[in-house]
Amino acid sequence: MSTPTATPPRRRAGPGRSLKWLLGRLGGGIFVLWAVATAIFFGIRMIPGDPAEAIMGGPGSQASAEALAAARAEYGLDQPLFVQYFGQLWRLATGDLGTSYSLKSPVAEVLGELIPPTLLLAGLALLLAWAMALALAVLSTRSGPWGSAIGSGLEIVSAAVPHFWLASVLIMVFSTSLGWFPPVSTNAPAGLVLPVATLALPLAGFLGQVMRDSMEGAQRSPYALSARARGESETGVLLRHSLRHAALPGIALSGWALGSLLSGAVVVETIFARPGLGRSLLQAVTARDIPLVTGVALFSAAAYVVVMALSDLAERVADPRIGTP
Amino acid sequence: MTHARPLATKLIPAAAALAAAMVLAGCTPGTTTPDDGGAAGTPVTGGTLVYASGDAEPSCLDPHVGGNYPQALVASQYLETLYTKDSVGKLIPWLAEDSTVSDDGLTRTVKIRDGIKFTDGTALDAAAVKANFEHLLDPATASSTGYLALGKIDSMKAVDARTLELKLKSPDNSLLESFSMPWVAIESPTALKRSQAENCESPVGTGPFKVASWKKQEAVNLVRNDAYVLPVEQAGHARTAHLDAITWRFIPEAATRYAALQSGEVQMIDNAQPDAIATSAKNPAIKHLDAPRPGASNRIELNSSKAPFNDANVREAFIHSVNVNAGIDSLFFGTAKRSYSPLSSVEPLAYSEESLFSNDPAKAGKLLDDAGWSQRDAQGYRVKDGTRLSLTFPVSTSQSIPAEQSLFEQMQATAKDSGIEIKIKLLDLSSWYGELFANNYNLVSAPYTKVGPGVLSILFHSDSTIPAPSGYFANLSQVKDPSLDALLNKAGSTKDEAERKDLYTQAQKKVLEGYYLLPLYNQQNHFLYSEKLKNVGATTAVASPTFFDTWLAK
Amino acid sequence: MTMTGPALPAGDPLLAPHPGNVRRRRAGGVRRLASHIPWLAAGAVLLFFVLAAAAPGLLAPLDPLAINPAAAFSPPGPGHFLGTDESGRDIYSRIIHGARPSLLIGAAATAVGLALALVLGTMAGFGGKRLDSGVGRILEVLFALPGLLLALVFIALAGPGVGTTVIAVGLTSAPGYARIIRGQIIALRNSPMVEAATVLGRSRSHILAIHILPNALAPIAVLATLGLGQAILWAASLSFLGLGAPPPAPEWGTMLSAGRTYLSLAWWMTFFPGLTIVLVAAAATVLSRSLKFRGTR
Repeated sequence: MSTPTATPPRRRAGPGRSLKWLLGRLGGGIFVLWAVATAIFFGIRMIPGDPAEAIMGGPGSQASAEALAAARAEYGLDQPLFVQYFGQLWRLATGDLGTSYSLKSPVAEVLGELIPPTLLLAGLALLLAWAMALALAVLSTRSGPWGSAIGSGLEIVSAAVPHFWLASVLIMVFSTSLGWFPPVSTNAPAGLVLPVATLALPLAGFLGQVMRDSMEGAQRSPYALSARARGESETGVLLRHSLRHAALPGIALSGWALGSLLSGAVVVETIFARPGLGRSLLQAVTARDIPLVTGVALFSAAAYVVVMALSDLAERVADPRIGTP
Repeated sequence: MTHARPLATKLIPAAAALAAAMVLAGCTPGTTTPDDGGAAGTPVTGGTLVYASGDAEPSCLDPHVGGNYPQALVASQYLETLYTKDSVGKLIPWLAEDSTVSDDGLTRTVKIRDGIKFTDGTALDAAAVKANFEHLLDPATASSTGYLALGKIDSMKAVDARTLELKLKSPDNSLLESFSMPWVAIESPTALKRSQAENCESPVGTGPFKVASWKKQEAVNLVRNDAYVLPVEQAGHARTAHLDAITWRFIPEAATRYAALQSGEVQMIDNAQPDAIATSAKNPAIKHLDAPRPGASNRIELNSSKAPFNDANVREAFIHSVNVNAGIDSLFFGTAKRSYSPLSSVEPLAYSEESLFSNDPAKAGKLLDDAGWSQRDAQGYRVKDGTRLSLTFPVSTSQSIPAEQSLFEQMQATAKDSGIEIKIKLLDLSSWYGELFANNYNLVSAPYTKVGPGVLSILFHSDSTIPAPSGYFANLSQVKDPSLDALLNKAGSTKDEAERKDLYTQAQKKVLEGYYLLPLYNQQNHFLYSEKLKNVGATTAVASPTFFDTWLAK
Repeated sequence: MTMTGPALPAGDPLLAPHPGNVRRRRAGGVRRLASHIPWLAAGAVLLFFVLAAAAPGLLAPLDPLAINPAAAFSPPGPGHFLGTDESGRDIYSRIIHGARPSLLIGAAATAVGLALALVLGTMAGFGGKRLDSGVGRILEVLFALPGLLLALVFIALAGPGVGTTVIAVGLTSAPGYARIIRGQIIALRNSPMVEAATVLGRSRSHILAIHILPNALAPIAVLATLGLGQAILWAASLSFLGLGAPPPAPEWGTMLSAGRTYLSLAWWMTFFPGLTIVLVAAAATVLSRSLKFRGTR
């Protein structure tokens, strides 16, 4: 059975290949962004409801017919759908993300405000998840089959915990009962603890399962056996060899982890009242705020494309034999 | 736990027209008097109040644009109104000094108070008020609540700096009540000339605080207006607010909001859930402010425009089949009192008729049998001509709190015992409106806040079944009764207070006896706050709290 | 976890066979016994809930919809084994009766996701180079969109409801499955067995039907088991956002989400439905991992 990877099939590297690789990546990235913009445009326009109403203060507004007409004209909504679509594509291509219907400010500006807090949250969660997964994998691998079973069980259970439930329980225990951390998130270190933990725990469970498999395999590999035969300590083998093996599949999963963290951020940012992309995504979909939804989607798609390219590049640099299945 | 009555404060009116000493509440600031019972000690100046709102963050801080309750809550801190209500619910002039109406009721003259400035330095005068009304009536503003409130205005003229003359299309005796709502608050005409985006970011008013900055999704930062002039002078009170600043945060999750209050991260929360209120009653560090909203009661409306509720007997049967009181008792922990009126209990003209709303499954069964719904299908639901007695009930998850949704589920269960099926559909606000506009509902619960009994015309006049261009209509029970229309028209235009009361009573009797609605309770408006926060309780005419008087104990 | 699973890109590291695990099976008697405990326990948990779904009345005689406001918020104890909710309904009965809608949502969503993935994966793996790169592009786009965004837009489009939830969850999980299936098919296509059939002059459709699809099914069973747990978690997240099953259906995610409001007052309202979801999702993971190792031995 082959192991399909998260990156497209690769070919043998050679002279001139690098440029081709770069161009291929770039083309693929542009295609993804175009497709996402197109899907969001038509997807949201198919949702029942008049976008002009979303502009005029949302559903149930008693905006007059003239006001709605004015809004339609201002945002070009009175033109045929395809004219609007190409207009939208042209604006996006020229870097104009438009103006949010519900927030009444430029989408680029809104994203500029919301991206840093979400990246901070997601980045810290990813780090913590990595640290927890590695620690658990190392500790339980070191303590024999029973330790391994317990570690594996912990990972499987934590990977099965719904975010919103975990968040509520953490608030109840650590804010209300113990008073250790504030329940409302700010960028102050204490305020980040609970949201980061909520995002990190289930992810750590996932990464842990992947890392354990790799690590246990590496522990039994010929290399490890010969290292032991050379008289290297068990800890030495673990740190110098197996740990590195355990980390590799985790790195390959980073593109996927990013997407899952963004989805998780919707719930976590809402519960901990943290400003960020996830929370505004939920509000934007509810308010039928097409420019903002498009902006958030394009950002996450672009982030995905970049992360995938980087992890591909990292693997190419690390392993010149690329291409062998 | 304080059951909130607006703060009683002693004021020395500046206007000669007012009595020498007057008890005020409303947005009225004041020094503590011994009888207010809430606050002990000397007010401390300084400190920042962190307020956590559970409502959706407004997209615009100018309540002229759109016009919903979350906007009213925050705008009450930096904008003031022409009129307001005192502690006994009496309408009193605020930024206005006085107002008179011609004998034919078609010309209203409003005197504007002197010596008040907006925080941008612009002076308040008749032209400024005119500019505000024009702003509200301009379609480009997209005002909905304020626009409706001023709908009877035909033309206006600033006769002199202090006098504004309004010509009305027809007499409107609720105009002064409308003037007391934050959606018709007065803003600086200079600021209104800016682009809408700018004005939404930082509206400029005359209030005790002003908008310093707004970081979306995080907080609106308000700071004290050091040049504040209290429209109605007050003995012994500092000229300006005690608090340095207010941080207005948005925390959508009820449990997080309450946890933040418990941990001391915020000092006041709104949309407090019944179970949190009940739990905090045992906690001396947390106090409770109950400020029911004016206007309509929270009620379920029965769509009389289509089967099966086009039959009054089926409407009556439905009302007798559901058990509301048991649910209110267990779900609201004593924080909500059952209503039997279309109007909020804070409306002086509210009329209740408890006897119509008994839970009586036997009576419901008989009414349904007589109406032809006597057969039952395999699941125990009644059928008539092969159609099941099934009611569609779209519920907005953003407008109905969890306890209310649970109450609806309990009604669903009790109605089933009488063979009535209720299909609850939980929807986001856009989809919910979509169902209403498509007439895709038999039952619906929609809040409506307005000052005064004039809300009855909005909810039950046949004119309100005509949809706005967006599809919106307020008469969700779709009553079309010429005799009711006549009552409401007359009640809204008479100059005789006694006649007004009598006509509105008749109108309420008519909709209650027609079983067009099932009243539940007042529109809930509960706040919890830290006991460190002193002198909380003053509210505007729409029951949004104000913090001119409030101070933070060290 | 909630959002992590279905977007798993190929889920490959989780599902790929690993020499370490295979070797463990060759260990001594005690170890062999120990290695059976997880999947036996997981199987028992799933069997219990499948039984609950098939015959809820057998395991919980009380009516899951019967309200009793006077008995609201009763803690676990005699009469109400796991306590009652805000309307006085028995939580244990609701969990048992909730097995059917919850598992059905999970199973149907997984089926939708796998069906879609099977079509896309087969096209990519067996349809030639152009089709492969075309499908690859589509999958790339689906991966680039956060799963929840896809689900939110779809639900806004089609209106909330059980059917919509099923399709939304299925849609978000399809690309991950499709990638795995594509890999499977490519591996099989290059296998000696298929090469032999090609040499013998069998038609492409014959090869697909006889040699490739049946052999690709075993890993799909593994995926389906894993996906079931993930789909239930996804549906729970949508319930949190107010987009779950309509009341008064005793669906687990809806119960969990409703109980969250009363966490400080009645922890049992959210704890037990939460425990159920975690148990089922974890059991599905354990079982799918054992199935996979079994298959690769």
